[in-house]
Amino acid sequence: MSLRKVAVVGAGMTHFVRRAKETPQELAFKAVRVALDSCELTLMDIDAVCLGTAPDSFDGIHMNGEYLSQAAGAFRKPYLRSYVGGGTGVFVPIQGWYHVASGLFDVVLVVAEEKMSSYYPHAQAAFLTIFDHTIERPLKPNLLWIFALEMNRYMTTYGLSKADIARVSVLHKRNAADHPCALLGDPNITVEDVLQSETLAWPVQRLDVSPVSDGAVALVLAAEHVARRITDKPVWIEGVGWCLDTAYWTNRDLAYPRYVEMAAKMAYEMAGIKEPRKEIHIAEPYDPFDYKALHHLEGLQLAERGKAIELYLNGDAERSGNLPICPSGGLLGVGNPIAAAGLMKVAELFWQLRGEAGKRQVPGNPKRGLAQAWGDLMQVGTVIILGR
Amino acid sequence: MFSPFSINFESPTQWHGDLPVTSRYTAGIALERFFIALRDEGKILGIRCSRCSKTYVPPTLFCPQCLTELQEFVDVGLHGEIYTYTISYRNLDGSLSNAPQVIAFIKIADGGIIHKIEGIPPHQVFIGMKVAAVLKPTAERSGSILDICAFKPFG
Repeated sequence: MSLRKVAVVGAGMTHFVRRAKETPQELAFKAVRVALDSCELTLMDIDAVCLGTAPDSFDGIHMNGEYLSQAAGAFRKPYLRSYVGGGTGVFVPIQGWYHVASGLFDVVLVVAEEKMSSYYPHAQAAFLTIFDHTIERPLKPNLLWIFALEMNRYMTTYGLSKADIARVSVLHKRNAADHPCALLGDPNITVEDVLQSETLAWPVQRLDVSPVSDGAVALVLAAEHVARRITDKPVWIEGVGWCLDTAYWTNRDLAYPRYVEMAAKMAYEMAGIKEPRKEIHIAEPYDPFDYKALHHLEGLQLAERGKAIELYLNGDAERSGNLPICPSGGLLGVGNPIAAAGLMKVAELFWQLRGEAGKRQVPGNPKRGLAQAWGDLMQVGTVIILGR
Repeated sequence: MFSPFSINFESPTQWHGDLPVTSRYTAGIALERFFIALRDEGKILGIRCSRCSKTYVPPTLFCPQCLTELQEFVDVGLHGEIYTYTISYRNLDGSLSNAPQVIAFIKIADGGIIHKIEGIPPHQVFIGMKVAAVLKPTAERSGSILDICAFKPFG
């Protein structure tokens, strides 16, 4: 199969906020407008639109993809919404990639939007019905149970302490203090702050978790011959991968995300990467919870099992370190409007690899980065590798 | 030969669950202006895209055709023309309604509003009929699409 080279040529995002006055359409429009302006294209240059948004229940609009279409620039254009739960934000650029790589379209808009503040009183209730209606819902489950059970298994398996895991939250929230669109950046946060925050479902405490947020992100993808006319700094999509594990979580190893490993291996093979720890210069693993970043770094083969924490303890994870992790500030710091948060990570790689990340810029002219998201029924890994 | 699994359809044991959803919506940047003008000034606003020569009613923050941000709100008046309509004989729960209700797409500028038609027997309504919005009294308006009671024949 011959595939065309595909570049990211433009990116834009809104602020991530707690409660936006804008409608979901208005959020999507604002991100798209910035992305188009960033590469000086108009809607006439766009051949097709790929949209990502998580469950309709967040925005409170059934068929949210159809509602968002005109704001995403899809007026009278080929358009499709993709959905793999929380993994959507990294899946939607993969969808955009195969739209272009296949030869079907030359220039594609990739848009992700989420307005979680619509869900009342709290967005977590939107997840109630993901639990099995017969064997779990009678227990009146809370979304946090999933993470608390997984975190406990993960930390116990490898003998990690809460204080060590809190280092993840501290680094990401400090990084986010340099992001102009961030909701929860804090340059002064400490491990003590995390450990003293309210316990939600032990071992998960308030500052172990990313915030419910509203926001949107957009990218412009182009085939090689068009990309070189649009910009002299194209950032290439070198590899993509995705994979789903079993639908039922008690059939799964909760200490190690095998599905993330398989998605990563698919992407590494496509990118010709043999030694990810040497060949990936920036990683944006999915971090809705602090332990999740560690869990995912191990699945991504960027650390040995149970050893990802060492990247944080020895300074490698910092922007100036050997493997900068979430230089954006991640979901823990920038915010977590589900699909938009995943795409924010891909936009961050685009800005970092072009040397346009401002105060967040990773030094040393990084050449290759990886972004990953996770979701569905805690069973999907989505991975994308960008390089220049 | 195709051989399907047999499916058991004999009175399965069942129980009821619900999908509890409450949403709080915002009108957004453009529609908030629309509803404030309707409530406080009794006006219907549209928004103009000079590039595409279109006036959208209700107003949107952006032009869906060219994706330019729009700012030129215009008073489009309270009159429109019936573009199409239906006569509804049933309530939402399927029961027969006491009085058939006329629901119409009222064309205003390059857009339109879906609303009720009142003040005329249903069988006399026709496509192309000129209609005007009937607003609630100022003191009763809350900034909702129901600040318009209905549209009625005009002229």
